[in-house]
Amino acid sequence: MRFLRILLAVGMACGVFASAGPSFAKPLEIVFVNPGKTGEVFWDMVAQSMQAAGRKLDAQVEVLTSERNYRTMQELGLGVLARQDKPDFLILSNEESAAVPIMEAAEAAGVKTLLLSNTLIGEDAARLGPPRQKLKTWLGDITTDLQTAGARMANALIAAARAEKWQSPDGRIHILGIGGDEITPASIARNAGLKLAVDAAPDVVVDRLLFANWTQSEAERVTTNYLGWASRKEIRPAGIWAGNDPMALGALRAVVAAGLVPGRDIQLVGLNWSEDALREIRAGRLLLTDGGHFLLGGWSIVLLRDYADGCDFAAVSPRVEVKTSAITRQNLGSVGDLIKTRAFDRIDFARFRAKAGRCGHYDFSLDALISSLPLPEGAAD
Amino acid sequence: MRNDEAMTGPDHNDQAAPPRLRSVVRAMIWATVPVLLLVQLLASAGVEASSFWSQIRQLDARMARVAESRAELIAEPLWKMRYDQVTGVLNEIMHDETIAAAAVYDDTGAAIARVAARPEGRAVAEVSRPIHYSNGNMAVEAGRIAIAYSNAALYADAGSRLVLLLVVGLLATFATLIAMRISANIFIGRPLAAMMSAIQRSKQDGRAYPADVTCSNEFGQLARAFNAMQHTTSGALDRLGHMAAHDPLTGLPNRRSLTERLAVASRHCGRADALVAFCFIDLDDFKGINDTFGHEAGDELLVQISQRLRSAVEAEDWVARLGGDEFVVIRPEVSNEASAHAFAQQVLAAISEPIRLHDKQVVPRASIGLAVRRADDPELSHLPTLADIALYHAKSKAPGTVAVLDEALQRDYRRRRDLELAIPAGFDEGQFEVWYQSQVDLESHEVVGLEALIRWRHPDHGVIGPAEFLPLIERSGNNGRLTRYVLTDACWALQRLAAAGRPQIRIAINLPPSELADHSLAAALRATCARFDVAASLLELEITEGSLINNIASAAETLHRLRRLGATIALDDFGTGYSSLAHLRRFPLDKVKIDKAFISEIPDSAEDKAIVGVIASLAGTLGLTLVAEGIERAEQAEAMREMGVRFGQGYLYQRPQPLDAVLRWLKTQPAAESRVLADSPSIAPEFA
Repeated sequence: MRFLRILLAVGMACGVFASAGPSFAKPLEIVFVNPGKTGEVFWDMVAQSMQAAGRKLDAQVEVLTSERNYRTMQELGLGVLARQDKPDFLILSNEESAAVPIMEAAEAAGVKTLLLSNTLIGEDAARLGPPRQKLKTWLGDITTDLQTAGARMANALIAAARAEKWQSPDGRIHILGIGGDEITPASIARNAGLKLAVDAAPDVVVDRLLFANWTQSEAERVTTNYLGWASRKEIRPAGIWAGNDPMALGALRAVVAAGLVPGRDIQLVGLNWSEDALREIRAGRLLLTDGGHFLLGGWSIVLLRDYADGCDFAAVSPRVEVKTSAITRQNLGSVGDLIKTRAFDRIDFARFRAKAGRCGHYDFSLDALISSLPLPEGAAD
Repeated sequence: MRNDEAMTGPDHNDQAAPPRLRSVVRAMIWATVPVLLLVQLLASAGVEASSFWSQIRQLDARMARVAESRAELIAEPLWKMRYDQVTGVLNEIMHDETIAAAAVYDDTGAAIARVAARPEGRAVAEVSRPIHYSNGNMAVEAGRIAIAYSNAALYADAGSRLVLLLVVGLLATFATLIAMRISANIFIGRPLAAMMSAIQRSKQDGRAYPADVTCSNEFGQLARAFNAMQHTTSGALDRLGHMAAHDPLTGLPNRRSLTERLAVASRHCGRADALVAFCFIDLDDFKGINDTFGHEAGDELLVQISQRLRSAVEAEDWVARLGGDEFVVIRPEVSNEASAHAFAQQVLAAISEPIRLHDKQVVPRASIGLAVRRADDPELSHLPTLADIALYHAKSKAPGTVAVLDEALQRDYRRRRDLELAIPAGFDEGQFEVWYQSQVDLESHEVVGLEALIRWRHPDHGVIGPAEFLPLIERSGNNGRLTRYVLTDACWALQRLAAAGRPQIRIAINLPPSELADHSLAAALRATCARFDVAASLLELEITEGSLINNIASAAETLHRLRRLGATIALDDFGTGYSSLAHLRRFPLDKVKIDKAFISEIPDSAEDKAIVGVIASLAGTLGLTLVAEGIERAEQAEAMREMGVRFGQGYLYQRPQPLDAVLRWLKTQPAAESRVLADSPSIAPEFA
């Protein structure tokens, strides 16, 4: 076993030579044009999980960071396509619809593309249609089901409030929603999830859906405003739904500043599996953080490996939607360390490949992930 | 301005205290400009006030719009509790300076944002609007916006505009004032000044000047009317000037013109040695013509004389009527005194042609005084006086002739003038003396009376006879004084005579013609007699025929009154004048004195003897006593006595002497008998 791991390590270290890996048809060259900024947690983690998966699945993943500049992103993508040695796959994220020109260029260059997290929307979607039709090289996309995530977060809040009987004098449970923005699909999906859950609960009302531009400080400010307003309206705020962890943490600060005790007087939920959120969950001040979608990076390599090896995910659908999962105090222990240390190499990505004859069928759930992880070092040894 | 001074100036100069002149232009301006200013200010204020209220309403409307637009902008951040954005949006409206403060309240009524202008402006108005938020799912009232704003800026603007309007109004008024002054001076002041100037010039030299005004407005009409009036005045002045310088009856220049004419003659003498002949003409007995034919005929005579004079002289000669019957003819250039005299004679001849008056032939007579002087003589202006001296001489010495002024006449004139001036002193200093000449009974040679004869013992000229100075006394109006002087002396003399034992001697006094008209004479005579305690019957009053002629009724009354006092009346100088027999009958006469002219040639002249004889016969018939004057020789006395003249008077018996000398002389004469008194009580006893 140790020997095998040494071999693996050597194979990963050598990269190109890893083609000698036992079950892979050939080594892959994959380029990821990262839309985020260096140091931006989510996109860093996407890139890191992607590279970790590459190491597991005999794929060399080159990450080019566009530093949140779509021009730079386009230049990087077009630059890759102009190379003499073109990669096998180009992974793009259609943030601000900046990926479309690159996809069209890739079509011309014969480089296959996969969209990650953000797929085509609006006019582009209408014009280019589904994957592999107008753009043959556009293999598909892999996205997260954020609406479900938003609903799950809301339901968790509602359940907690009901359990604690945090109804206001009007007999209803009052919730504050804090969205990132009103236009990006990722935000719209989460907000729709919130609405979905609340609409299903007649005893629950979202007083406001406020927007805080994904940032902690703005969330803190609007939360403070909301709490002041609520107290003037003699409303007992029962929960705060935040579209991501930083905003949840900002709301948390406002709650504390307002003299409330989070977790005892009010519950908050976030999304992203961020380190800080996990710490607050551990402290009992945050109910949960949904997420895990940074693993889209690793899962995208899994899809491309299977595709390269002849097991096309399009057998089910070229559009792969990955469910997120909530980390609560209950399951915090198993993944908290993984995230904290970003030891994605501990994940056995090969286990997530489609089973023979069941191409396109994947289980990227948290449970599957947890079960894929090896036992803690100490326990394992 | 200048015109005003021209208009006001002369009045200040001419009148000591003229009514304060108020320029019509200034009065117009004072009446108009304040009204103009007031109307302008009121109109401006009205317009400004309405504009101000309109702006207030606009401001209210604008603020409402601001509130509504801000409410729209604020709705979303307010609903989404982006209170910083709310404050930001609210802050933007604070750029509007009229907004003093603004606030946004949420649906709980809490102030979410509140902004105020730095200086706490006085907010006088507020507008409030609800903030509605809506999205696809909902529509709520998220809160309210309230804006407090100030009208102060509007008030300040209105104030500054009012000030501007005031300034503009003042400037406009000032411009109007200037324009009014200029136009008023052009249209009013200038024509008035032109007329005032014409009036001033007219006042200065008495001529009527027209005003130089050409405009066609009311002032032009006024000026034309003024000029027409000036024209009329000018004609009237010319006529007046002509009338002032001319005699209306004859059309000849009058006395006024004489001075000017002489001045002209002295200035325009052709040659330095040229002579100016000045004829002073006086008609003789013009009064008689007036009396005889009436004044109209007299005027007619004067007109004809003036026509003759004009036709008798040359063109360069000058004829004037000085007044009454006095004419002057001046010939400006004569070569010598002889030709001047010839010229005067020629004039006299022209006058003396017969004239028909009322179908009666009248031969006018005139006397001329001629004076000749060189044209450059500085005393040329004295020519009228000099000619008058000559005329006086002609009239007194030779009426109907030309008298040429010479040294002797001038000497006479000067002496006459000296005496005339010395008359008051003569009275005051007792220079007049009464001498007495005796009247003698030609039969008995007794002195029966004395004639009081006045003499003037002049300190420079010695004793002067009455013939020389009596006319001067008469002319100076001192006849009455002299008569009373003589009367007093005579009464005193009667007292002396009585004291000297000659109480029967009477004294005769000459009465000048003017005294016969004096009703107070009788009273004075009685009073004087009473004072000296003498009988009025001892006084004899001698009158001349001439004095009876002029005032017959008055003279008769005076004579009767005197006669009733006891005085006797004698007719003096009989035979030389009218020798009217009627006079002898009409007047209460006692005595007739035959003039010495009839005596002097007797007894040689048979004619004189015949006349005296007739007179004596007449007197005898009428019961009048006769006195012969001027008896110088014994045969004359004898002749008189033979012809029945009772009394005589003359050098044969005694020259006139002062009373003392007479009294001494009387002592040598035999005393009169008392029978004389008894002889004729009603008729004065006669003395030789």
